[in-house]
Amino acid sequence: MAETFLLEVATPERLWVRVRAREAQIPCRNGYIGVLPGHAALLSELGAGRLTYAGEDSSGSLDISGGWVEILDDHVRVLADEARES
Amino acid sequence: MPSLIDLRRRIRSVRNTQQVTKAMKMVSAAKLRRAQDRVLAARPYAAMYRELRARVAAAVAADERLASHPLLVRRPEERILLVFLTADRGLAGAFNTNLIRAAQAFIAAHADKRVELVTIGRKGRDFFRKRQFPIAAEYTGFSQKFDYEDAVSVARFLIEHYAGAQTDAVYLLYNEFKSLISARLTTVRVLPVEPAATVRPVDYIFEQPPARILEGLLPRYVEIAVYQALLESVAAEHAARMTAMDQATNNAGEMIARLTLFMNRVRQASITKELIEVVSGAEALE
Repeated sequence: MAETFLLEVATPERLWVRVRAREAQIPCRNGYIGVLPGHAALLSELGAGRLTYAGEDSSGSLDISGGWVEILDDHVRVLADEARES
Repeated sequence: MPSLIDLRRRIRSVRNTQQVTKAMKMVSAAKLRRAQDRVLAARPYAAMYRELRARVAAAVAADERLASHPLLVRRPEERILLVFLTADRGLAGAFNTNLIRAAQAFIAAHADKRVELVTIGRKGRDFFRKRQFPIAAEYTGFSQKFDYEDAVSVARFLIEHYAGAQTDAVYLLYNEFKSLISARLTTVRVLPVEPAATVRPVDYIFEQPPARILEGLLPRYVEIAVYQALLESVAAEHAARMTAMDQATNNAGEMIARLTLFMNRVRQASITKELIEVVSGAEALE
């Protein structure tokens, strides 16, 4: 199994994050979900909250709200309505 | 023959104009660079969105109720809303003229339909308002500054208009930024929303019902299209202005060179004339 997955966070105006991550916490509408490599395909609306991730050599967090997240084949796409460095 | 003083004055005035056009060119170059960066920055989201929508659409393809969604439903095109993006200001070469001509061509091509306009930018609005053409909505000031929220407010108007069955199709007409020297006039239909590209359905865990997710995605399609058009149009405007001002600066340079040459010739002529007078005067005394 892959040890990392590709995490992309974008808003309509720009791309915020594109990293290989080992894990991420994503604020979905029904609460936070934790994502590890090999996660099942999932689609959800986003809530508002702090997205955190730990990458191979970097980690970070963003405040995001609204939008969708798609998890598919170790590729996590976060399409947020708004994002801000936290 | 014009006097030396007149010529000097003329040269000075052309030089002033040249300074203005040169400054405008440099301002446009800086603005163009920023506009280009924004176009590039917006691409990842648009690409992610397209893929996501295609996969969600594939997941709900079986759901018949969605075909009657107010943004997907197709009606015969009797009434058309044309969103028409121009600049707020002139001095951008043929930028606005080309757009206005294209809009007129569009209206002529749909003469049997009822076409209404939504104008973005002062130049297009002024032109059609003077001709008393029906304008459903107008927006100005976007070539100075706009953000995604502005695109959302335009999109919201279009969506309400379409969902309320006040129009049967919505088109965008704008200049797409290709390169510094070329912009391409583009017409795209944004409503009804195009069916998504067909992809193999993925077996997702849906946290929300897929139909609901798709319903949330559809208005975003219009927003992104409007935002994209705004970005492209503003970049193209700055590019057009930059090229026009570069041309104007060069023309002014040529004119200065020509006038300077002429001025030197006039000065030389007067010197020669005076010399002849002195020499012939001296000869007459002998």
